[in-house]
Amino acid sequence: MEGGGPYAYPDPTSPHGLAGFEVELMDRLAKELGAAPVFSQGQWDKLLQVLDSGRIDLVINGYEWTEPRGRDYLATRPYYVYQLQLIVPRGSPIRSWADLKKSRPGGGRFRVGVLVASAGDTFATEQGGPHVEVVRFDGATDAMTAVQNGQYDATLQDLPAAHFYRNRFPGLELVGPRESHGYYVIYVRKQDRALRDALDRCLAKLIDSGELRRLYEKYGIWTDAQNELATIPGPLELAPGAQGVRGWALLRQYRSYLLQAAFVTLALSVISMPLAMALGLVIAVGRLYAPRSVQMLLQGYVELIRGTPLMLQLFVLFYLLKLPPWVAGISGLAINYSAYEAEIYRAGLQAIPTGQMEAALALGMSRRLALRRVIIPQAVRIVIPPVTNDFIALFKDTSVCSVITLVELTKQYSILANSTGGAIEFALAAAALYMMMSVPLSWFSRWSERRFDTGGMKGGAAA
Amino acid sequence: MIEVVDLVKRHGVHEVLRGVSLTISRGEVAVIIGASGSGKSTFLRCLNGLERFQSGSIAIDGIRLDEKSRSGDWSRLQREICRRVGMVFQSFNLFPHRTALENVMEGPVYVLGLPAAQAEERARRLLDRVGMSDKLHALPRQLSGGQQQRVAIARALAMEPRAILFDEPTSALDPRMTAEVLAVMTDLAGDGLTMVVVTHAMQFARRVAQTVHVFGEGRIIESGPPSQIFDEPHQEATRSLLSAVAAA
Repeated sequence: MEGGGPYAYPDPTSPHGLAGFEVELMDRLAKELGAAPVFSQGQWDKLLQVLDSGRIDLVINGYEWTEPRGRDYLATRPYYVYQLQLIVPRGSPIRSWADLKKSRPGGGRFRVGVLVASAGDTFATEQGGPHVEVVRFDGATDAMTAVQNGQYDATLQDLPAAHFYRNRFPGLELVGPRESHGYYVIYVRKQDRALRDALDRCLAKLIDSGELRRLYEKYGIWTDAQNELATIPGPLELAPGAQGVRGWALLRQYRSYLLQAAFVTLALSVISMPLAMALGLVIAVGRLYAPRSVQMLLQGYVELIRGTPLMLQLFVLFYLLKLPPWVAGISGLAINYSAYEAEIYRAGLQAIPTGQMEAALALGMSRRLALRRVIIPQAVRIVIPPVTNDFIALFKDTSVCSVITLVELTKQYSILANSTGGAIEFALAAAALYMMMSVPLSWFSRWSERRFDTGGMKGGAAA
Repeated sequence: MIEVVDLVKRHGVHEVLRGVSLTISRGEVAVIIGASGSGKSTFLRCLNGLERFQSGSIAIDGIRLDEKSRSGDWSRLQREICRRVGMVFQSFNLFPHRTALENVMEGPVYVLGLPAAQAEERARRLLDRVGMSDKLHALPRQLSGGQQQRVAIARALAMEPRAILFDEPTSALDPRMTAEVLAVMTDLAGDGLTMVVVTHAMQFARRVAQTVHVFGEGRIIESGPPSQIFDEPHQEATRSLLSAVAAA
């Protein structure tokens, strides 16, 4: 399970280092079952895939009951009735979800942050209308941070999270009536019917005895809506005959989403890579020919950028410098890869025999002209294979941009796999799309190697 | 034309040149001989500013370089000198990604700013002069060493220099190719080009040079016309150098 109060969050004083109403609920259920719970950490929107893999036995982490999930997994009766809470910057003119249906003062669309694949995501996507742009975050607090920063207009959160974090975000306020209505359930694998039935019986017991209510009151998340829990007779099941779409039909249905996400991936890479290459060239030339102090500075830059993860750099650009997601994504990738390109070019430039620079200088060329006319054209051919390699790597690294809300191919895969349950179909489709884009790159690389082939340095290295 | 006064060059603590002075007049062919490590190549590379030096001065065609030239001035002065003084290297250093014709056109077009057509006409004429008119579009790797060196000489000539420095131009060549290159150089000397040649080709020195300078341990041991140096050297060191070369 992935962090986030009040569901499950780090607490050094508890036996497993975790606190949260779901942690305590699970402790009680396990006691009833005569087992000890082991909590394991996973990315929230991938928990059902972890369940499939067999590394965990059940998912209890604010997972809503949905039909596609009901087709692929067994669910217990609900353990919580959730509602959605709209959160806006303090003093915002937006007072309720209804305000987002009107056109935005100052033009553009209202930008609403949600936790990817959450009920808020589904609700905002379905009910958003023409004036709302849904921006998907990997964590609930990331969205709140971005709204408090003023980067977004509002965020839609499950009620428990909204209440739990209200003190930590003094710049935010909860507004409007609660929207939507749904159930958190525990999911297990389809073949584990006995486990599901046992969990369900224990849940019923906790609900009837009022223990569940006391637990929720302790966390301040008991609402009148919870009275409904006692009226639900048993596990939630699909209505008989509800048949899921699978295979090609599923892919056809979501084709436009996949193609659009592939376009985002392609656009991110083809814009950022040339920038990275240009920046890298400037750095490489500086590291070889600039005054000593500049060389040191550039070396520091290369070490800093290579030594820190891309994801962290994207966070800095997006949350601290508050750049728009596309700008942050493209500049993050360009900056990150410029350090690698710089080292490749430096190696390429150094591979050219010194006699070449001397011959150019002896013709009366300046260093700059010598680089442009003599050294760089020869270095280009040497660096084509490693640069292509990096291009393909960057191409796949665009998926990291999902942490700053860009829905590229990998992110779209995970959204679709989660909301439809078609993990295998979409994984194969996404892989095929990646290949279709990266293989031509390799062809282009081989073609340009042939085009620049001059036999390398044989002419200059006779001595 | 070229006046060098008391040139000192150090690599760390090692003194490569320990106070070299010489004068070369316009149209003169000066040959520099000496054992390897005697500093003759370093001296040549100081002349056109490829190497910096610690003290002394060089004046070429009115341009003066000395140890006080600041680095900004130095590169400007060095460019000025290189426009007037060409260089031919032991390892040719042709640009491998360009054809023979393009190698020769490179300087006139990009340094002198000549129109391409005019530079090409000049390049064809010079390649014809060095006997390479049938290889205009060959890449350096498709040429023999002797052919590459002749293209390199044409490349230096294309800048219409006042002088050309030759740094052991035939040391990487076999005897037949050496003869080709020396023939071209003899031809140039006959035309009155100022040449400074570092070489081990003693027959060439004897036939073509006006002055021979003998280098030893970073100094000039002896200077004089070839008849003096080769037939009645004044210095014992010159004698032993020549007998070592003859024995080789």
